Amino acid sequence: MEASPVIVSAPLPNVKEQARFSPYTNNGGTVLAVAGKDFCVLGADTRMSEGYSITSRNVSKLIQLTNKCVLASSGMQADIATLHKILLIRLEMYKHENGREMSTTSIAQFLANTLYGKRFFPYYTFNVLGGIDDNGVGCAYSYDAVGSFERVRYSSSGTGQSLVQPLLDNQVAKKHQPNAPLEDVVSEDVEQFVRDALNSAGERDIYTGDHMELKTVKATGITSQKFDLKFD
Amino acid sequence: MSILEYNGGACLAMVGKGCVAVASDLRFGAQATTIATNMPKVHRINDKCFVGLAGLTSDNQTILNKILFRTKLYSLREEREIKPSVLSNLISTMLYEKRFGPYYVEPLVCGLEGPEDKPFISAMDLIGAPLLAEDFVLIGSTVTEALFGICESLYRPNLEPEELFEIISQCLLAGVDRDALSGWGAVVHIITKDKVVSRTLRGRQD
Repeated sequence: MEASPVIVSAPLPNVKEQARFSPYTNNGGTVLAVAGKDFCVLGADTRMSEGYSITSRNVSKLIQLTNKCVLASSGMQADIATLHKILLIRLEMYKHENGREMSTTSIAQFLANTLYGKRFFPYYTFNVLGGIDDNGVGCAYSYDAVGSFERVRYSSSGTGQSLVQPLLDNQVAKKHQPNAPLEDVVSEDVEQFVRDALNSAGERDIYTGDHMELKTVKATGITSQKFDLKFD
Repeated sequence: MSILEYNGGACLAMVGKGCVAVASDLRFGAQATTIATNMPKVHRINDKCFVGLAGLTSDNQTILNKILFRTKLYSLREEREIKPSVLSNLISTMLYEKRFGPYYVEPLVCGLEGPEDKPFISAMDLIGAPLLAEDFVLIGSTVTEALFGICESLYRPNLEPEELFEIISQCLLAGVDRDALSGWGAVVHIITKDKVVSRTLRGRQD
């Protein structure tokens, strides 16, 4: 039996419908770094999401570049993985050509150059670099996706950035606390604070949770820790 | 840009031990332009009941007039002051009546109620869906993330009025500093069973 054709959907006149493939996605997550006098603490959650689904509860966003420098990245996991790989390769080449590891300040500049190199098809990565500089002073650098960077005492990025950054302003820089003494803090206190910040971000940001990794960079080396966050 | 983000603004309420605190910023702006720096978003209904309104300023003023009208009528008929939980319900109903052409407001209700002056806080979306919380509520679509992060960290239950004042002030000031459409100082009210203490804070004037 012949069925007459049924029109399911008709395009509007004078409007061209275009399907558009987007090369980017945001896999969520929060990263932060707090620099102390002679150390730097970096923290990141380990959740990877796609839309409202969790694709992995255990993906690391932190990578140790040298024994004085750690990079934390949020954004699109594919670009993060590629960026990390490229940096490791180039750092290895530098070591062979120059007989020593790249200093943290140089890595900071190199990362900016690498990101700007793809200015017209950027790495969808929001980076925070942390470590100790050549004088042994703790440092943190924050970046945008195309390589604009600044050395700071603390920084955060990712889906939980807007939750964490005001807390850092208040507790690390002691903003709005004119009577609070700006004294040196020990790395254990900063580690606890970074844990609290990620816990709070995990409570209210749906893309942050599962586990958190902490890396502390000191002149003596880099220590790693892992803690649980909520799985919801 | 959403209509709710046009004027900016933020309002925060927290529960303490036998007290509630409510605070708001003071900016009144139209997108990037700041028009006034002395517009609080918290309004007194009676000594134990305050309403905060964020969202489109025009609708805030309209809704506030309607709320004042209804609460005054309530006092005349009932011969007693309206309780915060009742007011919260009243506002929720008023907003849902306009379900398909809503007021662009985000209300917050807080106060003390009952013979034991139990703290009560609640917030709503623009069509009146109520959110009853035990710890803190906040409104202002441009600042929610910034305020959630810091409130979640700094808040703890059973704070005395003076401590609660410090915590709510720090949370609000740090939160609005990261929002371009809110700020220019803050006003904080601490409501306890025998008095309301109001303080104006000078924050970043930008």
